[in-house]
Amino acid sequence: MEDRLTQLQDAVDQLANQFIACFYYIERHHDFETFGPNDKVPDKKAEQPDEVETLAAEEFQAGQIELARDLITKEQQIEYLISSLPGLDNSERDQEQSIRDLEEELKVAEAQRLEAVKEKEEVLLRLDQVLRGIRRY
Amino acid sequence: MDNPEEGSSKVTALYPDPPPFWKDFTPENLARFDSVKQDYAEQQGIDIDTVVRIPDVPDDLIYLQPPAEPIDAKWRLFAEPQSLDDELQSLETAGIQRLADTGETDRDGKHIDRAFELKRLAKSMLLNFLELMGLMSHNPSHTQEKVQDLKTLLLNFHHFLNEYRPHQAREQLIQLMQDQLDSKRAETAAIRDVVDKAKRAVEGLGSMDIPAVEPTDGNENENNKSSNEMVQAPVAINGTHDAKDEGPYWGREGEGWTFLDADFA
Repeated sequence: MEDRLTQLQDAVDQLANQFIACFYYIERHHDFETFGPNDKVPDKKAEQPDEVETLAAEEFQAGQIELARDLITKEQQIEYLISSLPGLDNSERDQEQSIRDLEEELKVAEAQRLEAVKEKEEVLLRLDQVLRGIRRY
Repeated sequence: MDNPEEGSSKVTALYPDPPPFWKDFTPENLARFDSVKQDYAEQQGIDIDTVVRIPDVPDDLIYLQPPAEPIDAKWRLFAEPQSLDDELQSLETAGIQRLADTGETDRDGKHIDRAFELKRLAKSMLLNFLELMGLMSHNPSHTQEKVQDLKTLLLNFHHFLNEYRPHQAREQLIQLMQDQLDSKRAETAAIRDVVDKAKRAVEGLGSMDIPAVEPTDGNENENNKSSNEMVQAPVAINGTHDAKDEGPYWGREGEGWTFLDADFA
């Protein structure tokens, strides 16, 4: 899995993409309106390609709601990721301290491990001798 | 090496020839370089693996060692200036307005503020998008600024996250070390466990009271801890034994246990 920072940066990029997708959707599927009583929607010229693919009002509305909901969800994801950034409440000094502590503990643990391995080998040797002694008969 | 086609290949080859010094890497030169390196390491009394550069190599071996670090820590690669210290370009030098002051955190500073600023930026992005949508429906010619604002917000967001990367790297290192520590401890504990078991088994063997044990079933009853081999040995003998062998058997058995006792002493 990617680290939190990369996830967060990806999420922000996705949010920006969603902005564009929303923009495109509205731009593509809106209906024509008049500002005043004197305005008039020009008739579509046959040879021109369609500027918009007007959707039915309910469908357009539903699409907008869905996109808006997605935006909010993404936003919440981003905020959640921000809150779970690792080590927000550690300062650099804290981090250095814990790295040093861990280094010490690792040394101790490694020494203990080697000791245990040595002991294991001794016991193995002894067990081996015992078994050999028995098999002689 | 000196073949006549060499000159013409410079003109006809699709890709340029490798730099001419590749010819210096002959087996003889490599061997010579290794011996020079060895001598140098011995002279200086250091490990040969730590030798990176040797001063005063013979001229014909000069390409066999890596070039020195650039003195001023700067060099050019494909016409791009490069620098040894890989610094994050600041927002100001990139010509972007800084929206929150999170750049200069001192060593004791916590990063709660950073999370707060990031959340603010995220909310601002949403708000600016909404404003952009509103403007588009009323006054599309004035939306350029809004788009610019959104861009600044996004760049700031990314920049703050990149500033946080060294912190996260340290955090990951801590996590990694913690994992390593845990696995080491687990390993030690597992080894100790097995060692203890083995020890108990051996002690069980050592404390076995042989003469009191009936050869037929005593072993199983008295010494559950003993290993299978232990149980099998007398059984195998019992399977074939007869009265005549009884004496020598016990004699040898006694010998065997003396041997064992010596081991445990």
